[in-house]
This record gives sequence, structure tokens and C-alpha cells, in this order.
Amino acid sequence: MKKQGPIAVAFLVGFLMLVQFFTPNPFFLKLYNWVLDWKQVVLGCTFILGTWSLIRYHLTKIQRRKENWQYSYVTLIGLMVTVVSAGIWKTASGPYPWLFNNIQVPMQSTMFSLLAFFVASASYRAFRARTVHATLLLVAGALVMLGRVPIGNYIRGEVFGVEISLVAISDWVLNVPNLAAKRGIMIGVGLGMSATAIKIILGIEKTYLGRSD
Amino acid sequence: MAFYDRMMSIDRRIIFLSVALAVAIPLLRPLGFPVQVSEEVRSFYRELEPLKEGDIILLSFDYEGDVMAELNPMSEAVLNHVFPKGVKVVALTTYAGGTGIAERLLDEAAEAYGKTYGEDYVFLGYNPDWSGTILRLGESFKATYPTDQYATRMADIPLMEEVETYKDIEMIVSIAGSALSEYWAIWAGGRYGVKVISGNTAIQAILIYPYYQAGQISGFLGGLKGAAEYERLIERPGMGIRGMDAQSIAHALMLVFILIGNIGYFMVRRQQARLKRKE
Repeated sequence: MKKQGPIAVAFLVGFLMLVQFFTPNPFFLKLYNWVLDWKQVVLGCTFILGTWSLIRYHLTKIQRRKENWQYSYVTLIGLMVTVVSAGIWKTASGPYPWLFNNIQVPMQSTMFSLLAFFVASASYRAFRARTVHATLLLVAGALVMLGRVPIGNYIRGEVFGVEISLVAISDWVLNVPNLAAKRGIMIGVGLGMSATAIKIILGIEKTYLGRSD
Repeated sequence: MAFYDRMMSIDRRIIFLSVALAVAIPLLRPLGFPVQVSEEVRSFYRELEPLKEGDIILLSFDYEGDVMAELNPMSEAVLNHVFPKGVKVVALTTYAGGTGIAERLLDEAAEAYGKTYGEDYVFLGYNPDWSGTILRLGESFKATYPTDQYATRMADIPLMEEVETYKDIEMIVSIAGSALSEYWAIWAGGRYGVKVISGNTAIQAILIYPYYQAGQISGFLGGLKGAAEYERLIERPGMGIRGMDAQSIAHALMLVFILIGNIGYFMVRRQQARLKRKE
């Protein structure tokens, strides 16, 4: 029953949600809205669970003096201060927007902007025309990099009487080979998702139940 | 030989410093490279341009602070485009960190154009379940968001009296740093037939082309370049256009480094082949 129960629930919900997509029947519409409402409630509860897990993990880390345990204090204090300030002063005024604008946003922006430096360094080391495939990637990358910025507008010329611009070549790379590859991947992913969903509904795929022990 | 070896192994600190200068100098002293408008940005503009006073759009801030530099110019430009026309905006975010960004941009734009909260625009806030939110909005805005970000009941917000489902809005504008624009197109556009346009980071924009070509996304802004092109169309230059010079120089610099590395690589390989032949 430990396994059969969840499989039966998955089958029932999966089957009904599949059917509701193809029918305008009011009963199925009501059911669909009811499931969506409950989905939001469940998702909201996972936040409570996630917060509790985070607090427990860091408290344990501090208690056992694990490596870099001092940073756990930063996490816990940051969490408490944010929650308390939002609770007391609400989110539109008081310390909460200040914390967001002056701590969270600069930290997130800094982390992301560091990528520019690492990408520059990594592309210099990795983009070598060692093989035909690597050369193709290098050429396509270079064309798109220059074609997607205004400096690329200056690179144009006539070949056999036909005017060719780098921007047009870059657009072609994005609209033809990139699109073909992406569409192929999307169709593959779509078919894979449908197959997995059917397997879950029919109880063939059971890994979502966790380990049997 | 040593010279070509050095070409292949430039110290990363030199690369980092060069990138920093390539980005900082054009931001401080703009070079004014011309911005050409692409077809996808023109399509984005063409969707918003015919909107008239009283029309309502749904603006979704699907990003957080990390990609703010790239996406804030787009959100600002959209508000600068629609607010002067008298278009009403129902805004929300699918990211917890998006609330602060949305509040700031909406408040700034509302102040600049004299808009009243609740009548001209409303901020519904953040809902943890983005997939459920996209689908449930198609059935009922009020059931998905019983209150707005500031705990005001929907019944007490005049603008929300006009909005029950996607049928009551002209289109969805998703400004996204992730695949959220695709989900708006698949679920809101596919199931409920609402028009979707999007603004995406440069990385994400590559993935939007299939949706754009298929008509599922009617127009999109790709990265800072898209924001700059859109700013040019609405004739309100902002951070998008200012950032374009920096991005141009940074891209060119990266290609120069790649070129140096490859020249070094080929010269070393040629010299090694020559030595082998002598042996």
C-alpha cells in the first residue's frame, strides 16, 4: 500500500488533468482550477519546509564547528533580519527595500558581472582551432559576437557584386543553423517529456517515490 | 618559440584588467556607435505602438538582481512607451527578488508620468508557483491573486475590476532572465490565445528564435542590444544605448585575445612540425 497508494493518486490526477485539456466540460474545468489552487498552496508550504531545512543545516554546522562555520552566522542573521524587517515595516518602506537595493542587488550583480571576466579568460584559452568542429564553433561564435553589437554594422562589403554585411551573416547563423538545432532539441525534449509523463501516469516510472527502503 | 608560447598563455590578470577597461571607458566616455534596429525588435515595438488609452497589458518582471543591468533598460523602456499613451499596466513577478525591482521601476515611471496606483497600474507581487500562476491567471486573476503586493483586496482596486482573465488584457510582456518567456508563450499563449512579447537576456534570446519564427512570441528584445534598439525606436535613449559602446568594445577585445591565442597556437604547431621534420 505504501507504493500502490501514491501510484494510484498519480494515475488518477495525471489522467484527469490529461482529459481536462481536451474537454470544455464544466466539471473538468472546476477540477482543473481546484488542482491549480492546491498546487499553489503546496508550493507555498515548500517554502516553509525549505526555510526550516536551511536553518537546521546551518545550526548543525555551527554546533559541529564544520569548515567555514562562521559564514553560517551570516546566513542565519541575514535571513532573520530580512524576515523581521519585512514583517514589521512591510516590503515597501523601512529597512527591507534598503537591504534589497544596497545588499542583495549589488551582490547578485557582482556575482553575475564576474562572468564577463571568466568568459573572456576561458574563451581565450578554449577557443582554439584545433579541429574542424572547433573551427566551425570558433567562426560561428566570432560572427555572432561581432554581429550582435553595433561595431558589427561597420563590417560590410561587396562580394561578386552582392553586398554582404556581418550583421546579415550573424542573423543567418541565428535564424537558420541555430534555429534548426534548437527546434530539433525542443522536439526531442517534448517527446521525452510526454513519454516520461505517460510512464509516470501508468506507474511504469516510479523513481519519484524515492528509495524502497 | 618563447614569444609564441607567451601568445598562448597571457596572464589572466592582464585579460581581466583589459576587460574592466574595455567596459568602463566607453561607459564613462561614450563613443556613439550607431544602433541598427533588427526585425524582432521592430515587431516588439509594432505590438505596443498601436495600444491606446485604457488598454491593459500584463507586465511580468521575470528576473532578479543578477541580470538587472541587461533587463532593467527593457522594463524601463516598456513603461516609458506605454505610460504616456495612457495604457494601464498590471504587473507581477515570478521571482522573489523581482519584487524590489518591479516596485522601484513602477514607482519611478508612475511618478514621472503622474500615474495613480490602483487606477493606472497595479503590482500583484510575487507568487511562488510560477507555472500555476501562468495557468490560473487564464481562469481568474482574482483567484490567483486575492490581494496585491500591499495586501489590498482585489475588490478595492479599481483597475482590477476591469480584469478577470487574459481576455481582458491586450498582451503579456515578459521581461525574463530565464525560460519564463517560453512558458508564458506555451501556457498563456498556447492555451488561452493571449499575445506574448518578451525581453530576454542575450543568452536566453538565442532560445526565443523558434517561438518568434512560429509566431508564438510576436516580438522580442534580445539582450542589451535589443534594449538599445527599442530605446531608439521610442526615441528615449537610456542605459541600453549607453551600454552598447561598452559591449561592442568588450566583444571586440575578446575576439582580439582569441585571435592572439590562435596565432600563437598555429605558429607553435608549425615550429614543432618543422623540428620533427629536421629530426
